[in-house]
Amino acid sequence: MIKRLLLVLGLPVVLFVTWYAASANSENFYAPPLRQILAAFVDTWTPERLRADVLPSLARLGAGYLLAALIGIAAGVAIGANPRLRAAAEPVLEFFRAVPPPVLVPVIMLFAGIGNGMKVIVIVSGCVWPVLLNTVEGVRATDGVLADTARAYGLTGAARLRHLLLPSASPQIIAGLRQALSIAIILMVISEMFAASNGLGFTIVQFQRSFAIPEMWSGIILLGLLGFGLSELFRLAERHALAWYHGLRDAQRRS
Amino acid sequence: MRRFITGMTVLALVAAGAGCGSSGDSGGGTTDGGVAKVKVGIIPIVDVAPIYLGQKQGFFANRKIDLTMESGQGGAAIVPGVVSGQFQFGFSNITSLLIAQTKNVPVKVVTNGVASTGTAGKDFGGVTVRKDSPITEPADLAGKKIAVNTLKNIGDTTVRESVRKAGGDPSGITFVEMPFANMPAAVENGQVDAAWVVEPSLSAVTAAGGRVVAWNYVDAAPDLTVAAYFASSKLIADDPDLVKRFTEAMNESLAYADAHPDEVREILGSYTKIDPKVREALTLPKWPTEINKPSVETLSKLGAQDGIFGSATPDLAKILP
Amino acid sequence: MTAVGAAAPRTAPGGRALLGLSGLAGLLVLVELLPRTGIVSDSYLPPTSRILAALADEAATGAFWVAVGDTLTAWAIGLAIAVVAGVGAGVLIGAVPVLRAVTASTVEFLRPIPSVALIPLAVLLYGSDLGSTLLLVVYAAFWQVLVQVLYGVADVDPVADETARSFRFGPWARIRYVLWPTALPYVFTGVRLAASVALVLAVTAELVIGAPGLGAVIAVAQTSNAITTMYALIVVTGLLGVAINLAARYAERHFLAWHQSVRGEAPS
Repeated sequence: MIKRLLLVLGLPVVLFVTWYAASANSENFYAPPLRQILAAFVDTWTPERLRADVLPSLARLGAGYLLAALIGIAAGVAIGANPRLRAAAEPVLEFFRAVPPPVLVPVIMLFAGIGNGMKVIVIVSGCVWPVLLNTVEGVRATDGVLADTARAYGLTGAARLRHLLLPSASPQIIAGLRQALSIAIILMVISEMFAASNGLGFTIVQFQRSFAIPEMWSGIILLGLLGFGLSELFRLAERHALAWYHGLRDAQRRS
Repeated sequence: MRRFITGMTVLALVAAGAGCGSSGDSGGGTTDGGVAKVKVGIIPIVDVAPIYLGQKQGFFANRKIDLTMESGQGGAAIVPGVVSGQFQFGFSNITSLLIAQTKNVPVKVVTNGVASTGTAGKDFGGVTVRKDSPITEPADLAGKKIAVNTLKNIGDTTVRESVRKAGGDPSGITFVEMPFANMPAAVENGQVDAAWVVEPSLSAVTAAGGRVVAWNYVDAAPDLTVAAYFASSKLIADDPDLVKRFTEAMNESLAYADAHPDEVREILGSYTKIDPKVREALTLPKWPTEINKPSVETLSKLGAQDGIFGSATPDLAKILP
Repeated sequence: MTAVGAAAPRTAPGGRALLGLSGLAGLLVLVELLPRTGIVSDSYLPPTSRILAALADEAATGAFWVAVGDTLTAWAIGLAIAVVAGVGAGVLIGAVPVLRAVTASTVEFLRPIPSVALIPLAVLLYGSDLGSTLLLVVYAAFWQVLVQVLYGVADVDPVADETARSFRFGPWARIRYVLWPTALPYVFTGVRLAASVALVLAVTAELVIGAPGLGAVIAVAQTSNAITTMYALIVVTGLLGVAINLAARYAERHFLAWHQSVRGEAPS
C-alpha cells in the first residue's frame, strides 16, 4: 500500500518541488511563482465557484462523452462488420474528423443555437472519432477462427454481437474510450470559448484575457486534477468491464 | 526515463518562459545599416489598415524600420508576445490595455490605433437587431440578450452606457459571447435579441435588412479612442529611439490613412478577404494621431462601474504615453 | 452487420473506391440541397457549388498554396517529433513495469491539460511563428501515440513472452521479437490518430495564434465575413485529413500485411 502510494505520488512530488523552487524568484509576468498560483488556487476555486462553473462543465462533459460513446460504438460495430458500408462511409467520416473543432463551432452554432446543446454537440463531434475508429478496428480484427466457429454454431444477430463482436473488440473499444475522454475535456474547454457564460473553460479563458495569470494557471492545474480524477474513475470502470480479459492474461501468466 | 523527460518538458518550458522575460532580447535585431527588424502583433481587421498603408508608402522604411506584421486573434494572443519580446509592438483595444494596467502587465501605449467616427448613424460599429424586432431605441435593450465578441470588455461596457444614457436599466442585460462573423446569423435566427457588431459584419447585418438601434461608441464618449499601439515597458526604456521612430512612422500612416480613404479600401484587399463590394461601401473608422484622453477616462470609468477591473482602478498615467 | 470475415462480400478495389466516392457525393448533394431548398439560409451555409467555386478561386492564388505548405510543414515536423518521442517513451515505459508505475499518475495529470490552455505559453516562447504551432501539435499528438503504444505493450501475449524468456532472449530481443510485433498494430492506430490530431491542432494553433498557415487564412476569412471562402477553406482542411488518412492506411496495409486485422481484408 505504502509502496503504491509512493509510486503514485513520487514523481509528481519531485516535479512539484522542482517547479516550486525554479519559479520561486520568477519575475516573468506570465510564469509567476508557484507560491502565487497556489494562493490563487485557494482563493479562486471556492465551493460556490466549483458549483457555478465546474458542475455545468462536468454535466456537459458527461452528456457529450456518453453520447459519443454510444454513437461511436454503435456506428463502429455497424461499419466494422460491414466492409461495404465501411468503404462508403470512410471518406466522409475521415473528412469530418479532419476538420478542426474550433472552425466547426461557428457552423454547429448555426444549427444548434448557442445553448448547452451546442456545447454537447461540439464535444460529441470531436470525441466520437477515437471510439468509432477503435471499434471499427476491433471488430475488423475479430479472430478468424472464432468467427468461423461462431458461424458453425449458428450464432447470428444479437447473440453474435453480444458473444463474438463486442467481446473481441472490447480491448480496442476501451482504448478508444480512454482517448475520447481526454479529447472530451479539451473540447469542453474549446466549446466554452464560444457563447458561454459559465464553465471551467470559460473561466480560464476569462482569466487569460483579463491578465489574471496566477488564476489562469490555477485553472489549468484544476483541469489537470479533473483529468486525473476522471482517468482514475475510468480505470476502475475498465478493470470491471474487462475483468475477463485481464483474468485471461493473468491466468496465462500464472500457468 | 523518456516519460520523465517529457513530464519535465512542460516545467522546462515554464522555466524557459521565466528566463525569457528577464533576459529576453530587447527591441528589434538591428541589421546592417542600422535597419531595425520590427514585428508588430496585429488583428487582421479594418482597424489596422494604416499600418499596412504606411508600410506600402515607405513611412517605416524611411525611418530604418523593417516591418513585419504578425496576426493574432485578440489581445490575449498579442500581449504575451509583446511582453516576452517576440513582438516589438502590438495592437489592442483600450479596455484590454486598462485591464492589463490594473494587473501591472508591463506594457505602455505608444500611439493611437483607431477611433470612432463620433457620428451616430455613420460609425463602424453599433448594436443591431433583426428588421422585425420590437426593439427600436437603446432603452428597449434593457433586459435583452445581446451578443458581444468578448465579455467584460469594450463592447459590453459601452453598450450598457448606451442603454443607461437613453434612460434604460442596463443591469438586466444578458451578454453572450460569439465571434463577430457569427452575429449576423444569430440575429437573423433569433438566438440573440441584438448583437454589437463592427465592420464588415455590420454591413452584413444591414444588407440582410437588420437595423442599428444604438451607436455605443458614439454614446460612450465623443470621438472615442477605441484601440492603440503599445510596447513593453522594457523596450521603451531600452530603445527609446526605436520607439520614437515607430511612433512617428505610425502617426504619419494614421494621418495618411485618414486622408486617403480610397487607398484604405484598396489596401484592405491585401490582408483581408472582405468582399470587394462590401469594401467599397463599408464605414471606415477615424484614424487621428492623438489619443483622446477624456474618452479613455470614460472607458476607465465605465469599466470600473461594471466591475471589470475587480477592485482595482486603472492608473492612466502609467498606461498612456 | 451480419456478414463478416470469410463470408463477407469481397469488394473489388475499384468498387471500394466507388463506394467511397458515392458517400462523398451524397454529402455534396446534401449540402447543395439544404440551402437551395431554404432549410438553411444560403448566406450561412452556401451550397456546394458556390463553395467549390470559392475553392477554385483560392486555389488559383499563390498565397493559398503557401498557406497549405506552411500547415503541412508544421504538421509533418510536429507529427515526426511526437511519433518518435511517443513510441520511444511508450516502449520503454511499457517494457519496464517500475517505470510505468512511477510515471502513470504524472502522465494522467499532464495528458488531459488541453493544448489550447498552452497558447499563452506558446506565444510567450515563440511569438506567432512555426514554434508555437509545433508546441501545441507535439503536445497533443504525443499522448495519442503514447497511449496506444502502452495499450499495445500491455497486449503482449504472456505465453509468447514466457516462451521468449525460456529461450533466453535478452531484453532487446524480447522487445524486438515479441513486444514490437504485438504493439505494431496499436502503434499504427496511434500514428493514424496522431496524424489527424496533429492536423487539427496545426490548424487550430494557426487559427487562434495567427501563425502562418491555413488556419490563419480561415481566421482572416472569418473576420472578413467571407463565409463562402471560410467554408471552402474548412473543406480544404477536411480534404487534407482524408489524404493523410489514405496515406496512413496505405502504410498500415503495407507494413502490417501479416496481421489479422489486415489479413481479413480484401486485397487491394
